[in-house]
Amino acid sequence: MTRFDAIDLTRRTLTDEPVVVSLGHPAYELFAAGDRTLNFYTWGSMGLTSSIALGLALARPDRRVVALDGDGSLLMNLGSLATIAACAPPNLFLLVLDNGQYGTTGGQPTATAGDADLEAAARAMGVRQTATVRDAQQLELALDASRQSPGPWVVVAKVDESAPTVKPPLDCVDIKNRFMAALNLEADSRP
Amino acid sequence: MSQTDDHSGSDAQVHAVPRWATLVADALWAGGCREVVYVPDNPLSSILTALAANHPEVRATLATREEEAVGIAAGLYLGGAKPALLMQSSGLGNTLNAVGSLLVAFQIPVVMIVSMRGDPGEWNSAQVPMGRAVAPVLDALGVQHLSIDREDEAGEVVVSLAQLAFGTRLPVACLLPRRLTVPVGGGRS
Repeated sequence: MTRFDAIDLTRRTLTDEPVVVSLGHPAYELFAAGDRTLNFYTWGSMGLTSSIALGLALARPDRRVVALDGDGSLLMNLGSLATIAACAPPNLFLLVLDNGQYGTTGGQPTATAGDADLEAAARAMGVRQTATVRDAQQLELALDASRQSPGPWVVVAKVDESAPTVKPPLDCVDIKNRFMAALNLEADSRP
Repeated sequence: MSQTDDHSGSDAQVHAVPRWATLVADALWAGGCREVVYVPDNPLSSILTALAANHPEVRATLATREEEAVGIAAGLYLGGAKPALLMQSSGLGNTLNAVGSLLVAFQIPVVMIVSMRGDPGEWNSAQVPMGRAVAPVLDALGVQHLSIDREDEAGEVVVSLAQLAFGTRLPVACLLPRRLTVPVGGGRS
């Protein structure tokens, strides 16, 4: 299973869920799988995808919130797993696209290429709904399970690097405005 | 008020909420903030105590690190909330790329309440370099900031910053100098 396969499979299961996606290759491939106004493409703030999704899940308990993170990114912000466990939003689904490398910056190995285990880290921080999946069938089962029982969910998908060919829109403010409009929110919320 | 009146209540004195903290909490409420993300320190705890006592509808979310807190606050805004972020000036140093590449780049408003270290009244030399850098780095990132220099201006400063933030979609910072938050001669952080 390549990272694109995992993103594309996840993308096909989405209905009205907002998605927060990590910068670089994950964002490029979510766009390649099919642009949606409910995709929040980050272009910086490496490591914060799960945190942005956590805040969104807390603010919008009526929506299932999906986060697409990378292993290198999550390794920058492991404390987020503790906060996710402590806040325990049932509507948060975090998919870690774990290719064991910093794919966007040239394929340098990450700690998960060695012994680091992000599912074990999530469990150790108190996240109870977790899985590690290694092929499309296992990912489908995990996606189904995450719709059946409340989260927060952390699913680590072991994937091979793929080669993105397109990039999402570059206008950060437009990304935000169309995302909030799709959530029926007025971005210019004056006090 | 005479200090000598309060000998019997030393515990109560330690936990009493100072007036500036009550004013900041009321102003966050008046500014529309119903979500607060924080990494604690002593002065900030007074604001959290005031919020819990006087505005229990405000949800306070503890983060492990200030950069993480910026991400959570940004997500809260994307979901329709008006977030405040409480951190020490040392923690502001942990946030800088996130403030620039998330809050400023995407025009995501957050009211940052920054409890100062390293300014007059400091006793710990390790706190001084980042404390001195606070205003220049906020300026470099284009984040407007005001300091509460007198207790009686606390509400006005915070409400005006919240209006600037949420009205124009910009992060802002309110600095709490040690002369405001720590009694003269006090050493707590």
